[in-house]
Amino acid sequence: MSDKTVKIDASNASVPVKDPATATTTANATTPAGETKLTNKELKELKKREKAAKRAASKPANSDASTGANSSAGNPSKTQKEGKQVAASSSHIKKQMNSAKIKESNNKVPPMVGHLETREQRISSSPQIANIVHPSIFSLTLKISTYKIVGSTSRCLSMLEAFKEVIKSYETPEATSLQRNLTSHLSHQIEYLKTGRPLSISMGNAIRWLKQRISVIPIDMKDDEAKSQLIDEIDLFIQERILYSDKVITQSASKHIQNNSKILTYAHSEVLEKLFKFCSLEENKSFEIYIIDSKPLFEGKKLAKRLSSINNIQCHYNLINSLSTVLERSDIDFCFLGAHSMLSNGRLYSRVGSALVAMACKNKNIPVLVCCESIKFSDKVQLDSVTLNELGDSDDIVNVKPFNKKGFNLEQYLTGLKVAENNNKPQQQQQQQQNKKINDNNNNNKSLKVDDGDNEILKNWKTELPFLNILNVLYDLTPPEYIQKVITEFGALPPSSVPVILREYKSST
Amino acid sequence: MSASAVAATQKFEILVDSFISKLKRRQITGSFSVATETCHLLMRVISNSRWTNTDEFIQLIRGVGQRLIQAQPREFAAGNIVRRVLAIIRDEVNDSTPSQIALSNNAPLNTSMFQLLSTNTTTKTTSKETTKAQNQDLRSVVIQGIRELIDEIASVHENIELMTVDLIHDNEILLTPTPGSQTVLNFLLKASLKRKFTVLITESYPNDIEECHKFAKTLAEAQIETVIIPDSTVFAVMSRVGKVLIGARSVFANGGCVTAAGVATVCECAKEHRTPVFAVAGLYKFSPTYPFDRDSLIEVGNSGKVLPYEDSDLVGKCEVTNPLFDYVLPEMIDIYITNIGGFSPNFIYRIVLDNYKNEDVHLD
Repeated sequence: MSDKTVKIDASNASVPVKDPATATTTANATTPAGETKLTNKELKELKKREKAAKRAASKPANSDASTGANSSAGNPSKTQKEGKQVAASSSHIKKQMNSAKIKESNNKVPPMVGHLETREQRISSSPQIANIVHPSIFSLTLKISTYKIVGSTSRCLSMLEAFKEVIKSYETPEATSLQRNLTSHLSHQIEYLKTGRPLSISMGNAIRWLKQRISVIPIDMKDDEAKSQLIDEIDLFIQERILYSDKVITQSASKHIQNNSKILTYAHSEVLEKLFKFCSLEENKSFEIYIIDSKPLFEGKKLAKRLSSINNIQCHYNLINSLSTVLERSDIDFCFLGAHSMLSNGRLYSRVGSALVAMACKNKNIPVLVCCESIKFSDKVQLDSVTLNELGDSDDIVNVKPFNKKGFNLEQYLTGLKVAENNNKPQQQQQQQQNKKINDNNNNNKSLKVDDGDNEILKNWKTELPFLNILNVLYDLTPPEYIQKVITEFGALPPSSVPVILREYKSST
Repeated sequence: MSASAVAATQKFEILVDSFISKLKRRQITGSFSVATETCHLLMRVISNSRWTNTDEFIQLIRGVGQRLIQAQPREFAAGNIVRRVLAIIRDEVNDSTPSQIALSNNAPLNTSMFQLLSTNTTTKTTSKETTKAQNQDLRSVVIQGIRELIDEIASVHENIELMTVDLIHDNEILLTPTPGSQTVLNFLLKASLKRKFTVLITESYPNDIEECHKFAKTLAEAQIETVIIPDSTVFAVMSRVGKVLIGARSVFANGGCVTAAGVATVCECAKEHRTPVFAVAGLYKFSPTYPFDRDSLIEVGNSGKVLPYEDSDLVGKCEVTNPLFDYVLPEMIDIYITNIGGFSPNFIYRIVLDNYKNEDVHLD
C-alpha cells in the first residue's frame, strides 16, 4: 500500500515540477535523466532564484503543457503565435483558458451545489506556484487529496509537521527579512496545500496562529535561531492544543462510559478513538461500541480495526442504513460524535451523516455528546449544510473501490503524454519515447487494477447520461437541539455556549 | 373415484409444494411477482381441488395460505392474495345462500342484539351440503374473481400513475430512498411526462446499490434531472427537498409499512424538516395484520456486503448485521398512494376491512 502511494506520489509530484524543468532545459539544453531525484535539486535551485524570474519561466511552460494536454482546435495555433513572444500576457490568457477548459469538462455537479468548488477547479486555480512548493507539502497534499490522511485533527497535525520541514529548509532571500518573507513563503505552500482539499477549520486556526508567531519574531534575531524557535513553538502548539487537549477531553468524557455501557459512534474521530482506548486500557472498563459507518470513506472501519483488538471492547459495525435497527434493538446509553468544527451558532459541522445519527439518537432520547478540541471552534455561522460544504469527487460514489485512482495531476500528465505520443514521430525522440513506454506500461498496469473496482452500470455516466449527477458532499450540519453537550478541554458545555469559548480562547492567546 | 381423488390430491400437493420451494429459494421475490404468481397458483389449485361443501373449500384455501405464509413469512403479498381470494369465496357463498341473510336481516331487533352476544355457530352449522352443480358454479365464479384480481395487480402502476399530476408541482425536488421499487420508478417516469422535476436517489448501500444505479440510469435516460446521493447525505439535502417518495414492500392495517433498510431514518429526517412523505403501494401490499413484533418483520441479509472480503481481519472480532428492511411508523408517512386512490395512514384499516374478511386475518 505505502509503496504504491510513494510511486504515485513521485510521479504526481513530478508533474508540476517537470514543467519548469522543461522550461529550464530549453535554456540549458540538458535532459533530466532521473526524474524524481532531479526534481528536488531543481526545486532547491529554483528557490534560490528570484521569484519573478521563476514565474516568468514557469508560466509559459505551464501553458505549453496545458495546451499540449488539451490540444483543442483553438489552443495550439494561439500558442504558436504568442507563446514565444510575450510570455506574461499570453500565459495569463492560457491560464484562463485552461481553467475554463477544466470547468467545461467537469460540469457534472448537481445544480443545488453548483456554487461549491470542485476538486478540478481547486487544482486549476494555482498551478503556477508549484515550483516553489516544498516536497513535504507535495506529499502531504497528495495524501490529503487521496484521503490517506483524513480527519481534521490528523490533517492539522501532519500539516504542522510538514511546516516544520518547510521552516527547517527555509532560507531567507537577500534584501528581505524572515518575518516578512517566511509568511509569504508559507502562503505559497498553503496555496498548494489547498489544491488537495480545502483547509479544515483547525488547519486555518493553526495557520493563523503560526503567522502571528512569525510576525512577532524580533527583527534582530538570527535566522537559524528564529527557525528553531518557531519549530519549538510548533511542537509546543501540537502538544498543548491537540495532544494535551485530547487527554483532558478524554478524561472528562470517560465518566460517561461505565462498565457494560453501550456506546454509539459515527465514522472515525481521533479524540474518540483515544477516549475508547483510554476507557478500556487504562480504566479497565468493558463496554460495547456500535460503530455506524457510511460510504464512501468508510472511516468507521479504521476505528473498528483499531478497537477490535482490545479485549474489553465488544465491537459492532453497521452501515448507516441499519441505524434505526441498531437503535431499536440495542439499548444505547450514549452517542459520541467527533467534530470537524463547532460553529459559533452552536451547530456541529462534521462528517456527513453525523446529523442523521444525532437526530435519530435524539428522537430515541439517547444523549448525544460531542468531543471537540477548542482549536476546531470557528466564529463562522451557518444555517444549512448546502450553502457551505466541501465537494468530494463524484466518481468516489460510483466506483465500488474508490480512491485507488490516479491523482488529477497525474491524469492530466498522462493525457498530455498520450497526445504528445500521438503527435511525435517515433524517430525524433527515441529516448523520451522509451521513458514514456515505461511510464505507459506502469500506467496501464495501474489502470487495469483500477478497472476492477469500476462500476458497470454507470461506467460512462459523465459522458453518456447528461441528466445524471452525483452528489458527494463531505460534511453536514447538526442543529444544536440534537446535541446534549460539547466536551472541550475547557470543560463541558451546551452547544449554545460555543461563542463563550471562542471569546475565552481569543483572550487567552 | 378414490384413485382419481388420490391423483387430484397428488397434483394439488405438487402444485403447492413446488410453489413453496420457489418461495423458499427466493426464485420468486418482490411483492408484485409474488402476488401474481400466488394468483396463478390459487387458480390452478382451485380448478384441481376436490371438495364437497363450501366450508371444506374455504378450509382448503386457508390451508394453502397458511403454508405459503410459513414458507416465507416476510413476503406478505402471498398471504394477502390468499385472503383476497378467500374474501371472494365468502362473498360468493353468502350471495348464493341469500335465504339466511334475508332471515337474519328480517329478524327483530332484540334477537339481533342477542345474536351479537351469542357466538355465530348457528350460521356455520346451517351451511348445508351443496350440490355438485352449485360447486361447479362457485368454482368458475371464484376463478373469474381471481382473473379480475390479476388484472387489478397488472394495472396497479397505471392507476397509481393517474395521481402523479396532483402530487408533483413543476421544478420540485423529490427524494426517494427506495431505488429498488418498480412502482416508484413507474410513478416518476409517468410524472415526467407532465412535470419537470429533480429526483434525488439515495444509494441504499449495500443491498440495493445496483438497483439504485439502474434506477438512476433509467430516469436519466428519460431526461429527468437525477442526482445520486449517499445515504448519509440525506440530512444535508433534506432542507431542499419538496417531497419524499417511498415505495412500500407491505403496508399494515395500522398504516405502518415495511420497506428497504434506511428508509425509517429518512422518513424521520423528513418529519424533522416537515417534508411530506408519500408512500406508493398497490392494494395487494396491504396486509390486514398488525406489526406487533418489529423484529419478526425485518429480514437480515448477507453481512459480507457490509464488511467485504478485504476487511476479513475484522471478522470474528466485530459483530456485523445487515438488515434488509425497515419498519416505518404510520406517523412518519403523510399519504399512501394506492391504485384505488390516496389515503391517510389512519384510514388504512378501513381499506383493509373493505378487501379482507375479518375471519381470514389469521389463517392459522
